[in-house]
Amino acid sequence: MSREKQEITFPLSEAISFAVESIRRRFSRALITVISIVLGIAFLSALLTITRIVSALSGGLSQTSQGPPLYQIWMAAIALLVCGVGIINSMLMSVTERYKEIGTLKTLGAEDIHILELFLIEGTLMGLIGGIIGAFGGWLVAFVMYYVQSSSPQLVLQASLSSLDIVGISIVLSVILSLVSSIVPAYMASKLNPVEALRYEV
Amino acid sequence: MASTLRYEYTVETEDLAKTYVMGPVSVKALDGISVKIRRGEYLSIMGPSGSGKTTFFNMVGGLDRPTRGKVYIDEVDIAKLDAYELAWLRARKIGYIFQTFNLIPVLTAMENVSLPMIFAGVGREERLKRARELLERVGLGNRLDHKPSELSGGQQQRVAIARALANNPVIVLADEPTGNLDLHTGLDIINLLKTLNTEKGVTIITATHDLKMIDVSDRIFWIRDGKLERIETRAQVSARAEE
Repeated sequence: MSREKQEITFPLSEAISFAVESIRRRFSRALITVISIVLGIAFLSALLTITRIVSALSGGLSQTSQGPPLYQIWMAAIALLVCGVGIINSMLMSVTERYKEIGTLKTLGAEDIHILELFLIEGTLMGLIGGIIGAFGGWLVAFVMYYVQSSSPQLVLQASLSSLDIVGISIVLSVILSLVSSIVPAYMASKLNPVEALRYEV
Repeated sequence: MASTLRYEYTVETEDLAKTYVMGPVSVKALDGISVKIRRGEYLSIMGPSGSGKTTFFNMVGGLDRPTRGKVYIDEVDIAKLDAYELAWLRARKIGYIFQTFNLIPVLTAMENVSLPMIFAGVGREERLKRARELLERVGLGNRLDHKPSELSGGQQQRVAIARALANNPVIVLADEPTGNLDLHTGLDIINLLKTLNTEKGVTIITATHDLKMIDVSDRIFWIRDGKLERIETRAQVSARAEE
C-alpha cells in the first residue's frame, strides 16, 4: 500500500473546533467540571494573594521571606487534588458516553492519536477557562476582602497589583492539572476497539 | 497510481473464521468463509440474527481481526497492515453505514460528511464543495446545517450514506442500513444505495435481513451458523420464490 500512501491528517484547528463543539453540546456537564476547577484554582489564587497582602501589611517588603502557613498549603493541595479527581471523573463519563462516537471516528479513519488529541484538548480547554476565571476570581476576592477592611487600602492595592503574577501561575497550574487529569481518560478512549465501541449502547 | 488499476475482485476472503472466547465457552461466529466479491457488485449478506453477518462485515471492514483466514481488499492482505495503514484503509477505501446511523451528534450534516475528508487530508474548500454535492445528491441540499437531532431517521441515514461516499471509497459496507427505518423510508434508502452503486461503480456490501434488499442485489450470500450456506443471484432467488 506504500505506493499510494497519503497522509492521514487531523489538523489541530479542526481538533480544537471539534472539542469546542463537544463542550458546547454537553454544556451542563462541562460547566460543572469548570466550576470545580474555578473553585479549586480560586482558592489557591486567593490563598497566595492573601499571603502577599498580609506580608505587605505587616510592614515587611520581604515578601519572599514567609510563604503561607503549612496547613494552608495543605488545604490548597487538597483542593487541587479534588479538582483533578473531578476532571478525571468528568472526562471518564464523557468517554463512556461517547463510545459510539469514538468507534465511528475510528471507522472514518481516525487514528488512536487523533482520539487522544481530541480528549486532551477538551480537558485542557476546560482547564484554561476554569483557570482564568478562578485565578482572577480568587485574586479579586482576596483584594476586595482586605481593601475594604484595611486601614491602609493603598498598601493593599499595591500588594495586590504586584501579586498579579500569582494569577498567571494559577492559570498555568490549572492547565497542567487538567491536562494531566485528562491523560488517563483520553488514553482509554484512544485504545477502544472500534467494534466494541460501536456495539456499546448507552 | 494503484487506485486507477482495476482489480477484478475488490474483496476476497479465504477460510475466514472468528471465534469469540467468553470465559469457558468459545463461540464460532464465523467458520471458514471463502468468497470473492467483484468490483461494482451489489451484494447482500443474509441470514438470521446471530448467523455471523455482522462479524463477517467487521472482518471485511478491517474493524476486527480474524481468528483464522485472510481478507484481501484490492488484493492487499489487510492482516499485514499496521495501525496507520488500517486507518488509511478505513478512511479512503471503505465507507461504513450503520443501522443506528452513527452520525456525530455535535456536528451538522455538512460537518459530518466533511469529517472523513479531514482525515484523508482534503483541503477545506474542496471538502465543503464535495460535502455539499454529496448531500445534494442524496436529496438533503436544504438540510446542510442541520444537526442529526434535527433530522428524521431516513434523513440521518442519507447523511450517513453521503459520509460513506465522501472519499470515493471502493467499498461501502452497510450493516442493517434499513433496520431502524420504516418500510417506505427503508425502500428509499435501498433505492438510493442501488443508484449510487450504478452511478459510481462502488461495490456495496450489505448485511441485512430486509428481504426488500434482494430486489436490488446482484448476488446474495446466505449465511447460517457462521457458514456460507449458499450463494444465489437475484434471478435464482426469484425463481425459487415462484416455485
